[in-house]
Amino acid sequence: MTDGPGRFRGLRARLLVAFVLVTVLGAAAAAWTGAVLARNALLEESRRQAATTIGGRVTAVAPTLDLPPDQVTLDRLRDAVGGRALVVHENRTSARGLDAGVLPDELRAAVRGGDRIVTQRVVADGTPWLLVGTPLVTTAPDGARTPSGIEVYAARDLADVQRQIDGLTTRALATAAIVLPLAIVLALLAARSVLRPVRDLRDTARRLADGDLGARSPPRGSDELADLTLTVNRMAGSVQTSMEAMRRMEADARRFAADVSHELRTPLATLTAVMEVLDGATDDLDRDAREAAELAIAETHRLVRLVEDLMEVSRFDAGTARLRVEDADATAVVRETLRARGWTDQVRVDAPEHLPARFDRRRIDVVVANLVGNALRHGRQPVRVGVCASADTLRIEVSDRGPGLPDDVIGHVFDRFYKADAARVRSGGSGLGLAIARENARLHGGDLTAGNDDGGGARFVLTLPRQAREPAPREEET
Amino acid sequence: MSDGARRGTPVPGAVPAVLVAVAVLLAGCGVPPSGVIDGGRAPTGVAPGPTLYFVGPDGELVAQTRDTGRLGTISDALALLLTGTQDPALRTGITSGGTTRVGVTHDGDTIELHLPLAEYDVTPRGLDQIACTALATHVQAGGSADTRVRVLLTVTEPGSDAGEPRGCPVVGRAAVR
Amino acid sequence: MASVLLIEDDPSVRRGLQLALSRHGHDARTAGSGEDGLREFRTHPPDLVVLDLMLPGMDGFAVCRRLREAGEVPVIMLTARGDDADVVGGLEAGADDYVVKPVQPAVLDARIRAVLRRGTSAPDGVRVYRDLRIDTAALTVTLAGEPVALTPTELRLLLTLSRSPGRVLSRQQLLEEVWEHGYLGDSRLVDNGVQRLRAKVEENPAAPEYVQTVRGFGYRFGPV
Repeated sequence: MTDGPGRFRGLRARLLVAFVLVTVLGAAAAAWTGAVLARNALLEESRRQAATTIGGRVTAVAPTLDLPPDQVTLDRLRDAVGGRALVVHENRTSARGLDAGVLPDELRAAVRGGDRIVTQRVVADGTPWLLVGTPLVTTAPDGARTPSGIEVYAARDLADVQRQIDGLTTRALATAAIVLPLAIVLALLAARSVLRPVRDLRDTARRLADGDLGARSPPRGSDELADLTLTVNRMAGSVQTSMEAMRRMEADARRFAADVSHELRTPLATLTAVMEVLDGATDDLDRDAREAAELAIAETHRLVRLVEDLMEVSRFDAGTARLRVEDADATAVVRETLRARGWTDQVRVDAPEHLPARFDRRRIDVVVANLVGNALRHGRQPVRVGVCASADTLRIEVSDRGPGLPDDVIGHVFDRFYKADAARVRSGGSGLGLAIARENARLHGGDLTAGNDDGGGARFVLTLPRQAREPAPREEET
Repeated sequence: MSDGARRGTPVPGAVPAVLVAVAVLLAGCGVPPSGVIDGGRAPTGVAPGPTLYFVGPDGELVAQTRDTGRLGTISDALALLLTGTQDPALRTGITSGGTTRVGVTHDGDTIELHLPLAEYDVTPRGLDQIACTALATHVQAGGSADTRVRVLLTVTEPGSDAGEPRGCPVVGRAAVR
Repeated sequence: MASVLLIEDDPSVRRGLQLALSRHGHDARTAGSGEDGLREFRTHPPDLVVLDLMLPGMDGFAVCRRLREAGEVPVIMLTARGDDADVVGGLEAGADDYVVKPVQPAVLDARIRAVLRRGTSAPDGVRVYRDLRIDTAALTVTLAGEPVALTPTELRLLLTLSRSPGRVLSRQQLLEEVWEHGYLGDSRLVDNGVQRLRAKVEENPAAPEYVQTVRGFGYRFGPV
């Protein structure tokens, strides 16, 4: 991929992030669930063990205890329980490391009212504690249980359990962290497999956009992307078909124009030949017939020009127009163009004495003659031709003092058969002159632009490379 | 929507999701406080004194609590039983030879009593007295009422069933006088 | 007044041009195909041939080559399209000049007259350069004593170049002087003419002695 990464970073990044999030969250959730289950099991085990131990110790010592108990008895019971313990009987208590004040009321109530061992976890000063409380019961031989009034409480430090749980949590997080690079690798692989068809499709679309209508992507698999690929291929196919049809029609139309022009030449050759004969014989005719003959001659000349212009345009369209560049003096060529057409007196030339350049003299003559001819016909004098050059650009400017080009005309003056004013119909122009002029400029690698002078009046600017080069020959003319 | 804006937040909602996940994870660790949780039957075993069984006027077993201030062991209770009673209304089916030391062993669900008596020192009612007294103490100390008792005598007659495991006909039913 | 053979397949064009050329004082005979044209050329050798390139059967290029083999008669091509391939092909086949259809008879007449003109305005005796001997009065050329057959155009080209040996003449100047073309004449006529002239007078046309190329500008005679 040459310039793809930037184009696809968004999609790739999103796929990557989504995949990694899902994977890591999944792993984290699994690890967390495991950790919570293990924690609960640990807590339950510690609770059960504490309850059993304390119950067992009390049971073991109970038959040896006096009832009602005195302080010594309570102390013995407290010692038997071990650790932080508190034994209460009526107003008498025996405590070590456990103050009755820290016991939650609900625990006291549960112990005082019932005949079950109860436990409760509390957090005091940031340390988790397991509180175990139980009444000591008197059992009758028939199994009836009555409270003896003795309450036993014990507190067990859960710091060890806490540490174990912390270890579990750390391991869970570590598991999730270990999954992370794995998830990234997998995500990259997945993104690649998803993005490759997308990239192929993008490349195909770009080639289509660049005009390669034969571009297609091979569809892979049968997923949505394959559907999309098929759709794009179908679209490209129909675009290609229509484009080919259009090109064929356009080529047909152009060939038709070329053929028509060509076929017109033979009768025109005869007409041209005989018109001159006719021209020399008009003196013998009466007035009307002479006028008719003169009209026929003039129109034949016009027809010849039109056909020649059409042929020229056809050559541009077919790409068979050839540039024949040679060393020439631009100033001399311009002056010669004017002189050959008898325009020298009507046109002011602003040009250096010599301006060496390389171009196709015949084509530039056509352009300059067309521009000056237009200026003389449509504008007002003085018509001015300016020739100047930089190191690599030759510039020929033709301007007049007429009304200038209306804005809505400027964009169309180079269109074929575009007639800005009705007078041109009778002016002898073929309607192709400016189109041919611009084609000639472009054949040189230059351009021809139309605009208006600051002082009013139309101004055409021809720019050419100072050293025009003949392009590589195209297909041979037939 | 510009490309850059999309790139800024690759997946909308991803950041809150991560925060929630981390919060849940952190809440999962540590030891949370809890409510009151049941932890099984409360311990038992304190009593004003052991319960002894003697024979009433009609030959029935009568329970008598001997006020020693504490329940004591089965052995203690049987020693008191062998000593007899001062109550004129009660008799005993045990003829004690003065020795009151009783060995007590637990064998599974059975309590074995090694008595310093021969079979002829003990009436069948006397065997019930022994079994009931031992079982009553056993129950009062938190033991099961279904426990069986084997009374082992020093001398047994042939064909005697004195050594068979037995229960007590009244423990669980007899009224304490 | 010249006798012109016009070879053109289209009867109307043929007749039209014949009429027009007659009015310009030429004796124009016609032929409708290359084969007929060559036959007519042999029976009544003309001063000049106007040859349409697009002919049924034997085409104009082939006819032109046959004419060249037969002698030094000037040939003007009539190209239907004015396309480069036609022009280049026709010049290589030996044509002296070309016009594009439809052609104005006045233009064709001027070309005919130019192509037929053999000498230059002022004969100045005999010029001798090594083996090359040019008689400007008799309009004959010999190379090492052997006469060289030149078409009128080739002869004028040689006369024009040799008039001032060592002086460079641009293609434009040569076009105007030899072919009597306007300023937009086709410089390929000059190149082609020089090539044909070299083939006849140079010992080694690839390394010419008499007609030398001045790259980017034109040609000069010598220095010998």
